[in-house]
Amino acid sequence: MKTKKPNIGIVLFVAIGVVPFAAAFVYALLYSFGIIGVANQGFTLRFWESVLASGTFFKSLGYSVVIALVAVSLSVGGALWVTLKFRRQLEKRILSFVIYLPLAIPGIVTGFFTFQLFSKGGFFARISHKLGFITEASQFPDLVNDGLAVGIILSFITMVMPFFVLLFLNVYKNERIEELSILAQSLGANSRQVVHCVFLPILIRKTWVLIILYFIFLLGAYEVPLILGQESPQMLSVLIIQEIKQYDLDKISEGYVVAVLYTLLVSVAALALFLPKRKRAYAS
Amino acid sequence: MRVNWKPFVLSLAVLLILFPFVYLVFLSLASEWRFPEVWPSYLGLKNWVTVFGSETGLLRSFFSSLLISLSVAVFSTASGFMISKAVFYHPKKRTLTLLAYFPYILAPVVFAACLSFFFLKMGLFGNMTGVVVAQFIIAFPYALLFFSSFWNEKVKSYEDLVATLGGNKWQTYTKVVLPLAKGLLMICFFQTFLISWFEYGLTSIIGIGKVQTLTIKVFMFIKEANYYYGALSCCLLIFPPVVLLYFNKRYVFKKLV
Amino acid sequence: MFLEVQHIIKSFGAEKVVKDLSFSLKAKQTLSILGKSGCGKTTMLKTIGGLLSPDSGKILLDGEDITETRPEKRNIVYLYQEDLLFPHLNAYENIAFGLRLKKIPEGLIKEKVGHMLHSLELEGQAEKMPNQLSGGQRQRVSFGRAISTNPSLLLLDEPFGSLDTGTRQRMQELFKKLTAEYDITSLFVTHDLKEAVLMGDQIGFMQNGLLTVYSDKKDFIQDPQTGVQNEIEFWGGLR
Repeated sequence: MKTKKPNIGIVLFVAIGVVPFAAAFVYALLYSFGIIGVANQGFTLRFWESVLASGTFFKSLGYSVVIALVAVSLSVGGALWVTLKFRRQLEKRILSFVIYLPLAIPGIVTGFFTFQLFSKGGFFARISHKLGFITEASQFPDLVNDGLAVGIILSFITMVMPFFVLLFLNVYKNERIEELSILAQSLGANSRQVVHCVFLPILIRKTWVLIILYFIFLLGAYEVPLILGQESPQMLSVLIIQEIKQYDLDKISEGYVVAVLYTLLVSVAALALFLPKRKRAYAS
Repeated sequence: MRVNWKPFVLSLAVLLILFPFVYLVFLSLASEWRFPEVWPSYLGLKNWVTVFGSETGLLRSFFSSLLISLSVAVFSTASGFMISKAVFYHPKKRTLTLLAYFPYILAPVVFAACLSFFFLKMGLFGNMTGVVVAQFIIAFPYALLFFSSFWNEKVKSYEDLVATLGGNKWQTYTKVVLPLAKGLLMICFFQTFLISWFEYGLTSIIGIGKVQTLTIKVFMFIKEANYYYGALSCCLLIFPPVVLLYFNKRYVFKKLV
Repeated sequence: MFLEVQHIIKSFGAEKVVKDLSFSLKAKQTLSILGKSGCGKTTMLKTIGGLLSPDSGKILLDGEDITETRPEKRNIVYLYQEDLLFPHLNAYENIAFGLRLKKIPEGLIKEKVGHMLHSLELEGQAEKMPNQLSGGQRQRVSFGRAISTNPSLLLLDEPFGSLDTGTRQRMQELFKKLTAEYDITSLFVTHDLKEAVLMGDQIGFMQNGLLTVYSDKKDFIQDPQTGVQNEIEFWGGLR
């Protein structure tokens, strides 16, 4: 029955799923070493040295990591709390529809909307003015394009938290945490112990891969920091695109250095997440 | 007596969720809304009328977005489904799955920046075909991984069963495999549609501003500080997914792994 | 002989799952094979059904070498332990499935399926979807689906394994009736001692990939490794 003909499916998989990624990586790598590129004249470590010495990459990386970490932690924490306190109410007809609505809003709209609300001429600034808290737009606190990335983090939370609420509600049902909690209570656990020994461990165990995945997605987010970010430091994707699109040809190569570093980082994360032999964390 | 605070929190949450939708519609109806006024000086259908008079090309953008997203959804769902079978029945499926995660996990905009050279060389820069191909490249791993749980022992058994009952490959697909996968195919179709519909960064790089999808328009209006048209484009962007949600929540709720 | 299996060997990696399998079976007879899970019986059935290809050996059906024949051309139906009904088709369409594959005229399908539903005591259930049927009913539909195509050989892999005792008994009787009515030749694999004795015209015992077929039921009962003697002792000891 089985003949050793080349498997067309696998060939196509490599052609669509692997080749573009490999090509993109090799291209960025060659560019970063000055081997290709308009004004480049052959192999040089100049761009790597410059990027590593200036610290732009590390600053941007640290900035992105902190933002993504804060946003994911707050989102997951909030979602856990909502699931714990409101899961029964959220099953009701209208609410069970409403909680899905945030998924219909893409990053670029979230960014735009946050800007409309929190900028110095925005909705809240107007209200503050009306209520007499401020007399001029400039008195309104920096909440967008600000150093603490309040706007970005706020946007991320509004994007990610609804997803995690839905996810946790899903796992709660599939893993029969309700029944297990009752069982634990019948064994003598108080409500605190139920949360710590049943509710949290099961939810986190089943979803930690997704939590990390969302952290990585936020790390590479583009639209939101593009609209709500500041001049410097910037989040990784914004930094990479800005440098690659510059007219200063040296900067382009440096942009590719950052792109290579970012790709390596993400690839290592993918390896660490998906290489270990384990059962699928959460299959629908 | 303990006060039951839950209804208050819930009502507040519902208001917060609905607020963006209401506010964006409101903003799209407004005009000449200067700081510090709390109410715009104009509120009406002016912006919508202008837009549907096609002056800003927004209607065009809507339809090109629709065309691009439908193409991406069709190609990625179909190929993801067919190719995932080869991948997930393969002895080395773990390694292959891992390979699919690399492009999936990478920020599309960075991916596009590193691929743009090849798109330029192939004449796929700044045109719709290029944008469809680029979006397809990022939607494909998603679709592929989406079907990983479908190709299990049970489906294999169904295929074997049809074979022993005398069915050929074609009959196996049309009479059993596709009907079994129908629900998942629909979900994958709409989710890949949304991946494309919401995509901005990659589109802006490969389309270089010439392919004006709705997301590109939104950003353009933001840069021009034309917030009323911006809000209007946002409305066009978010209401199709809301309609999808109404039909089936699973069309929009993407969870992978 | 109608079915002749000659020196079939099948390994997965380094593990030999089926070792030198040889036996033969007359037409319209049932060979029941007793074996614990993991003894290689499923691999044996799938090899005969063409779903797995053997490493070496030959399979002859009605004098014809079918070792290399594709499963859909063998006219051998393999029946799973779970009923595996098509969830998108009702009971009637599940039974008609094989007939439709063969593009048999609609009128004839109607007649055959109607008759089959009657034989299976499933009148009135035709329109029901699989999830509306009980376990025994589902297994009967899956039987009907297999038999309606007139297979040369029926392979049954623990067909009643998931049923409760009462249903199981009724199904055994029904199966006896059907094999007589439709002239079925079959291999019936089970891990239930009583079922093996009950269902087979001939009995075999499979262990570690090796199959012994007894020419007489008495030999099967006498052989200490089949476990029959143990049972007799146990029930005798209660007296």
